[in-house]
Amino acid sequence: MLIKLAWKNIWRNKVRSGVILSAIAIGLFAGTYLAAFMEGWIIGTVKESIDTDIACIQIHSPKFLANYDVREYLQGFPDVAEMPDETTISGRIVLAGMLQSANNALGITAKGVIPEQEKTVSAVWKTIPDSMGVYLPDDIKMPIVISKKTAGKLKVHLKSKIVFTFQNANEEMQSVAFRVCGIYKTSNSMFDENAVFVKYDDIFPLTALPENAIHEVAVNFPDLKTCDWVYPKIKAALPGLEVLSWKEINPTLSLSLGATEFFGAIIIGIFLLALSFGIVNTMLMAILERTKELGMLKAIGMSKNKIFRMIMFETVFLTFLGSVAGIILATIVLTPSLKTGIDLTFMMGDTFEDYGFSAIVYPVINLKMFVEIAVLVIFAGILSAIYPARRALKINTIEAIKTE
Amino acid sequence: MSIIKTKNLVKVYSTGLMEVRAVDNVNLTIEQGEFTAIVGPSGSGKTTLLNMIGGLDRPTSGEIIVDSMDITQLSQKQLVDFRLKNIGFVFQSYNLIPVLTATENVSFIMELQGREKREIDARTKEILSDVGLADRLMSRPAQLSGGQQQRVAVARAMASRPQFIIADEPTANLDSKTAEKLLDMMTEINKKENITFLFSTHDSRVVSKARRVIVLEDGKIVSDERK
Repeated sequence: MLIKLAWKNIWRNKVRSGVILSAIAIGLFAGTYLAAFMEGWIIGTVKESIDTDIACIQIHSPKFLANYDVREYLQGFPDVAEMPDETTISGRIVLAGMLQSANNALGITAKGVIPEQEKTVSAVWKTIPDSMGVYLPDDIKMPIVISKKTAGKLKVHLKSKIVFTFQNANEEMQSVAFRVCGIYKTSNSMFDENAVFVKYDDIFPLTALPENAIHEVAVNFPDLKTCDWVYPKIKAALPGLEVLSWKEINPTLSLSLGATEFFGAIIIGIFLLALSFGIVNTMLMAILERTKELGMLKAIGMSKNKIFRMIMFETVFLTFLGSVAGIILATIVLTPSLKTGIDLTFMMGDTFEDYGFSAIVYPVINLKMFVEIAVLVIFAGILSAIYPARRALKINTIEAIKTE
Repeated sequence: MSIIKTKNLVKVYSTGLMEVRAVDNVNLTIEQGEFTAIVGPSGSGKTTLLNMIGGLDRPTSGEIIVDSMDITQLSQKQLVDFRLKNIGFVFQSYNLIPVLTATENVSFIMELQGREKREIDARTKEILSDVGLADRLMSRPAQLSGGQQQRVAVARAMASRPQFIIADEPTANLDSKTAEKLLDMMTEINKKENITFLFSTHDSRVVSKARRVIVLEDGKIVSDERK
């Protein structure tokens, strides 16, 4: 009966209820859209960075990363038991050196990889357009994959010859000519400017390293959650080696993820605060308008508890309906961009990519997040309705009945 | 059998330095099934007396015994419960809930009392039929005339078969014909259900229908006549 009356009460002033419902719906839409956008943006950037560049976990000799010393190598894959079935692993030789064309020279990091192995860990090969060659094929001698940025700086194109110079384990300078077989482009300009890929078998003989030597083991998983629970196990299993998670390899990314959650919470908080004032105002108006009626209800024997609950139900209905409308609106608006993504290049060109952020954002509809926001809105509504409800309880019955 | 008894009932309002004795030492006994009008000029204390008997206001001193219980000793919460279970109210300006239909308005108190749905439905139909609104069950107050609204209000007051009904100026907002009809209906129900009615009124038509007329002046009973 209380529920029925509360439901009917919210429709007695359709315009006012419509305004507050719209405010809740639009606020919730904006909040969820922004949250989905931010989550998509950061998760996309993190995922892309992991998939193309850093992988979930990297294993090195303890001193390797300090100055990329060629002599700090691992002897084959370290033995780690209890890896999940879906784990992918690639061993790399990592050489810092100089890449030269007839026109220019660049400092670069060359990664010597076994293509079939590397493809399971890194998605760089997927970023090579059909017109820009292929990833380290067998039918090209001494192939090298470079980025579009690097190609531009060196003024080279497919099939161009370029020379990579580096110092080997015997401290001898080695120069080797490669032919450009593929030109990739990820959404991370910093990575693109620094990384080229060659075949392990082509570069290894020049390194003067012992057989099976590698500098870096990249370990990847289909999702970050797996990484989070596997990482401590690997680290514990390899006490003598440097085992780094993506958060340690690229703390900026990790920080961005945390910052996004933090700022998202602040934005939601501001929205809830504004919403609370709106609800207090609306419910106060609704109660003042119904002073006579509330007086009558008290007179005929409706307890304070029931009056309080009735007003709370009214608020819950308003906030619940507004939340559902907001979520539906957000879902409708977000759905088309889930596959196509939202291209941000129209705003700032390649600036995002220059700082390592994806310029195409694929929003993430996170049901848990939507429900959490809706529950927060309803909770804020209930809290906001306490003051108006208390005002209703303080109405003087006799005075209220006389009100015209 | 007396249903309401007041003993030395006094209500004093303080307005600054002045004290107004709105009800002054009223001793009154209302019998079961009486149809009583309390009359008197404006400010004579009619409404104050009814508010105290109805448990809406507390006396400054004195007792109000309803069914052997002094309601002046009840807590605010107990008074609310007492009103719900024992008293029906009819207000001057109907005071129906605008978003509910006639049926819902009438069944509302019984639902508050937690009665069974079947009983509520049967009683609501019966009482709305008694007040001549069997064909307006699903109408909302805004779709009813003033007289019809007041009939719904009377039906609401009587639906739960309270010990007595307090009606404060029930015909004040009605034209004479409608008021006459309403009073006839109330006297009929009074006879049929033996429910005690206690009115405050200026209306001579109400007075003419009442079987007992109590006249108040300056908060004191100056006359108490049974017809």
